[in-house]
Amino acid sequence: MLPRLKRFADVLVGEKREGKTVLRRALKRMLAGQHRYQRGTPLDRWAFAEIYQLWLSELRDHADPSRQSKAIDTDFERLFRRDEDSDFDALTASFLGHLPPQQRSTLLLVYGEGFDHEEAGRVLDASPDMIQARLIRACAGLADRLGSSAQAPANAAIESLDPGEATEQP
Amino acid sequence: MTELSDELLVAYVDGQLAREQTRAVDKVLVQDDVIAQRVEVLKQAHGRLECAFEAILAGEVGEIMANTPTMPLPVARPRGNGLVKIGVATVVTGLVLFVLVAGYGWPFGQQPAVAPAAVNQPLVAPPPAPLPKRVEMAPPTWQDEVLRAQALLSRSSVEVGLESQGNRDLVAFQLAQAIGPAVKLPDLKAEGLKFMRAQFLRFDGKPLAQMLYLGTERAPLALYAMRGGGKARPLFRREGAIGSVSWKEDGIAYLLAGEENEARLLRLAEQIKHEPAATEPAPPRKLSDVTSGPIASGAEPIDPSAADPIITGSNPTMPSSPAH
Repeated sequence: MLPRLKRFADVLVGEKREGKTVLRRALKRMLAGQHRYQRGTPLDRWAFAEIYQLWLSELRDHADPSRQSKAIDTDFERLFRRDEDSDFDALTASFLGHLPPQQRSTLLLVYGEGFDHEEAGRVLDASPDMIQARLIRACAGLADRLGSSAQAPANAAIESLDPGEATEQP
Repeated sequence: MTELSDELLVAYVDGQLAREQTRAVDKVLVQDDVIAQRVEVLKQAHGRLECAFEAILAGEVGEIMANTPTMPLPVARPRGNGLVKIGVATVVTGLVLFVLVAGYGWPFGQQPAVAPAAVNQPLVAPPPAPLPKRVEMAPPTWQDEVLRAQALLSRSSVEVGLESQGNRDLVAFQLAQAIGPAVKLPDLKAEGLKFMRAQFLRFDGKPLAQMLYLGTERAPLALYAMRGGGKARPLFRREGAIGSVSWKEDGIAYLLAGEENEARLLRLAEQIKHEPAATEPAPPRKLSDVTSGPIASGAEPIDPSAADPIITGSNPTMPSSPAH
């Protein structure tokens, strides 16, 4: 499970080093707050949600949260395995790197972890409709790029610091 | 040209549409090249995203494997249904978190939050140890066991009196309501086991039925039933003196547990599988059974020759409100 949690933290933050520290703090918080864990909840779901909540709360403390959430291309590309055996998909890496963190983590939970919209919504404190909207926007954006008829996606920006107030439209 | 939104097409590519909607989109794709092309690109995007996340995971695994000292291999255990995992979840959660934090402190070159000696693993050890060391766990105390048992109690466990818990009609009705109409309330008299009472416990917020049987000797035998998955074929396992057989039938997971040997538990499980559902019409009963009277309470003296309470008919409509 550790590599999956690490991937989630890295993808959320957008780079390896800060991803590690976020994960470490989240694991410590989880250990200290075991009482919050509800028996029967899948441990990985709980852990993903804890990481996300920690990241969000720390982001809110920053003077300029939107600046903090931006990933740099090269930092994000370092998340990918780069060896002779595997092809590096620079276009997709760059596309993901420029997405807002919440959108990126939504894609990871649904396409990387295989969560359904409700499960992903519980982790990211968002409604299933919002999860669906994020997927549509991201997939359509990448498809536009692949179809060579599209414009570059918007610069990374926090959708909303308060998930309850987020008003996304597909 | 047909107008189909990206919203619909992405849902189609993700397999989120209902069967009829999928068929409708399939038809459009045959007729409309532009839409078909868009779907093709969306599929490509979907595939690329999946591959990208796999590549990131591969990177994480490689990095962690390269940096983490050898951990003990988990001991292979037979897999059971959800019922046999009761109690284990709590211990595992704590242990997993402990191991994660202890192990993950290492790559950052900082002191872990917990004492390294407790894990019995080197936290700063560049060359992996040739032989993995096992984590020694203290045996559970009685307090540990009681805490796990306490977690199973629900309000309905104590809201219904012992007397009504022994009323077979009421029990059958409540079982069907809470667990499902296919649930069994087996008659095990032929095996020398008398139905004493039943109650509802809880697991993960869902009702867990416990049906208790008593023979002339030994501890009670319990049949647990809960909605959920598991393996259809009966599976035996033993924890100390307690043997158990678990299986799934009609969407209900069962666990039969008691101080019995494997052969007897498997035979009982097979018999229970052939029993009708709790609320199905009971077979015609002998006059001697009908005149033997209901069980008054769980404290009644055990008389294996006594019959079960009078079965009043199929699918009884009880005047009292069910516990659930």
